[in-house]
Amino acid sequence: MWPRIVEMMTAVWLALSPFIFRAQSDPVIVWVDSLVALLIVLLAGASYWPRGRHAHLVILLVAVGLIVWARFAQSPPPPVHQNHIVVGLFLLMVALLPNEASDPPRQWRETDATAR
Amino acid sequence: MSDVNRDELNRNVPPYRHNPAAWNQRLPICVLAFVAAAISTHLSMFQWGLIDSVWDPFFGDGSERVLKSGTAEKMYSILGIHDAALGTLAYLGDAILGFGGSPRRWQYRPWLVILFGIDVIPLGIVSVLLVLAQAFIVGEWCFLCLVTAVISLILVYWAWDEVRVSLAYLRLVWKRTSSRRLLWRAFWGYREDAFDEAAESLLSREVR
Repeated sequence: MWPRIVEMMTAVWLALSPFIFRAQSDPVIVWVDSLVALLIVLLAGASYWPRGRHAHLVILLVAVGLIVWARFAQSPPPPVHQNHIVVGLFLLMVALLPNEASDPPRQWRETDATAR
Repeated sequence: MSDVNRDELNRNVPPYRHNPAAWNQRLPICVLAFVAAAISTHLSMFQWGLIDSVWDPFFGDGSERVLKSGTAEKMYSILGIHDAALGTLAYLGDAILGFGGSPRRWQYRPWLVILFGIDVIPLGIVSVLLVLAQAFIVGEWCFLCLVTAVISLILVYWAWDEVRVSLAYLRLVWKRTSSRRLLWRAFWGYREDAFDEAAESLLSREVR
């Protein structure tokens, strides 16, 4: 489940970003970053639940939204929005990884192909 | 993973005398990529104005002139993101995609190996182009940029064998089945008897 942990850590970075990039005076950025971070944590957490094991894939949509917002909110994007673009692109890579990322896929864990 | 034979996962893949997807092959890539990501983050912080100077033991303020050069600013206006930040992203991607998958991911998750290759190999080419731009367009040198360019080339060299093996496996699937549907399924790591046979024929090749 380590990719989900990485997503949660990225969400913490995102929530702290307005303060790191000295944009805490902009309430829109503080609120958007906090809410998106919360959403990412919820989706990554839901992936631990067997019925919600694919919830992390919804993070792909959240990441695309974050990138589009950051790219077009101000042109060229200031550092705080560049950070959003980097975080969004990074989440696109991490959210693709399955929950049991270091093990073979379930169907390959059976001893032969006919056993599935 | 109790019923998976770990020796089976770690089999050497001809023409190599090792398994290119083994942990001992991939972990050095991940560690080196994290080092490069840390260096790129330092350079990004300068481009973002969060720090006032860049560490450079050889070229004085050459690094700062490279990072604030017209070429760097032009790339920023086109991409919407500074080149060092893009480097951070790419190296973090190398590390994360390098960690994903089992020691047999060249067969079980070819999509992951190909994605990893797409992240590593073009990154190495871009790094070389940026170094050439330093020399011939900006006329200044940046020590840490050179270090990350060298790391990129090492990563390409280390990652290539795994990408090659995965492509060879997909090629064998295609040669045996001539089916786009099965090739697509093999790419996404589904399981079929034909895929086991293709992998076995790859594994049983003679090492020259």
